Amino acid sequence: MNAEELKRSKIVLLSAGDNVAVALIPIQKGDIVENSGKKIEATDDIDFGHKIALRDIKKDDNVIKYGEIIGVATENIAVGSHVHVHNVKSLRADKHE
Amino acid sequence: MSELNAYLNPDGKAAPRNHNLILSLNSFCNTAAQGIHRSVNPTVLITHPHGRNEIGINKERLRKSLIGNALNPNVFSVLVVGYEDKSTSSFVNELRAKTKKPVESVLVLDNGTLGATKEGAEIASRLSQINSEYSREKFSISDFTIGLKCGGSDATSGIVSNPAVGKAVDRIINMKGTAIFSETTEIIGAEHILAKRAANNKVALDILEAARTNEEMAMSLGVDLIGTNPVPDNIRGGISTIEEKSIAAIMKSGSGKINGVLDYASTPPDRGLYFMDSPSAATEVLTAITAGGASIILFTTGSGNPVGSPVSPVIKITGNPYAAKKMKEHIDVDISEVITEGKSLQVGSDKVYRILEKTISGRLTKSEILHHDEFAPIPVGL
Repeated sequence: MNAEELKRSKIVLLSAGDNVAVALIPIQKGDIVENSGKKIEATDDIDFGHKIALRDIKKDDNVIKYGEIIGVATENIAVGSHVHVHNVKSLRADKHE
Repeated sequence: MSELNAYLNPDGKAAPRNHNLILSLNSFCNTAAQGIHRSVNPTVLITHPHGRNEIGINKERLRKSLIGNALNPNVFSVLVVGYEDKSTSSFVNELRAKTKKPVESVLVLDNGTLGATKEGAEIASRLSQINSEYSREKFSISDFTIGLKCGGSDATSGIVSNPAVGKAVDRIINMKGTAIFSETTEIIGAEHILAKRAANNKVALDILEAARTNEEMAMSLGVDLIGTNPVPDNIRGGISTIEEKSIAAIMKSGSGKINGVLDYASTPPDRGLYFMDSPSAATEVLTAITAGGASIILFTTGSGNPVGSPVSPVIKITGNPYAAKKMKEHIDVDISEVITEGKSLQVGSDKVYRILEKTISGRLTKSEILHHDEFAPIPVGL
């Protein structure tokens, strides 16, 4: 991805099939990002390095990045939303509340 | 392949540095050790807040990390600053049995801090001059043990710096080199990937067991890892869970076969890639892997991390364009062009490798320049 493509897509998909991608520049609410030709509107501000939902992720669904499970959704996450500690939790070393 | 110029140490090992180490054996010997270090140039210093009344695993780990760091290839002479004769002699005798390096000692008891400082400074002056007579010779990359660590990780760690270092590690292992990576908490959620790279079934089981024990330790404390690992700066950088951090963290070890799992502060029995079971905080890991013989460290960072080691150069690598600016004084290799200009990971990896060669051959790291010589010999926590 060159600088021009980066400006257009704003995100990077780390593995085909991931349901989140990573912001490579700060994204503002209402910005359009592009994933494999598909346009997605950001519904939150998303900082550099933070994750955006590429499709709707239901509560208790796995969150997939790098082609691996990185946690589970703690609420329904709509496409274009910021995906982070407020709506994802680890499946590991969980104190099982 | 370009030539590496390093020292041949008294034990016949290749070394990027030829340090005269002043080593404090316990907390109230630190003042004398610091006094000697300030008086005598060039010396490196190990101090720590321990050394009396430790028992069990803490005592064992303190001893192992101090002995291991004194045996590190970069150390050419050791001046032990102890309190009383019995414990100091025992330490000195153990070291002398394991190395041909000059090992000397001074005692604080009956001499006082000032007396020990004066006597120690005289000895250290002599050792510094002896060390200065070594000159650099040609070596190849396989003559060194490379330590691997990530700290202050963020989303760029998994996209840029860890995979770039991983490619450099693959290159080193392919040339019959040796590398150690660590941080047991940061394989939780990625242990299945590492287990597939194990040289044999026993190594695979050891990897899984290390992760399981670490996870159980966290759970027995009745806490979850959030806020501890990932730490707040990881979360600020976009990392949400330990799994996300771990999958990115292990990328720095490349794709090669894992030959074994090492106990805390232990030395690899052979060439190749090894995983050391240890806590994950930066200073604790550096202390453990330098005790295991790592004479040069590749350290990836997202947000930037100033940490260093008293005995081994720590090369800081970032793929984060903001950290490369804000934490410039701590960054040795900026490969953020992988993000900002779309350069390939191979370009970033080649840059890391070139700086590794230069640093082995004498280029100072930012952590050396800024006196970052942190040391944590009793690891507590996860």
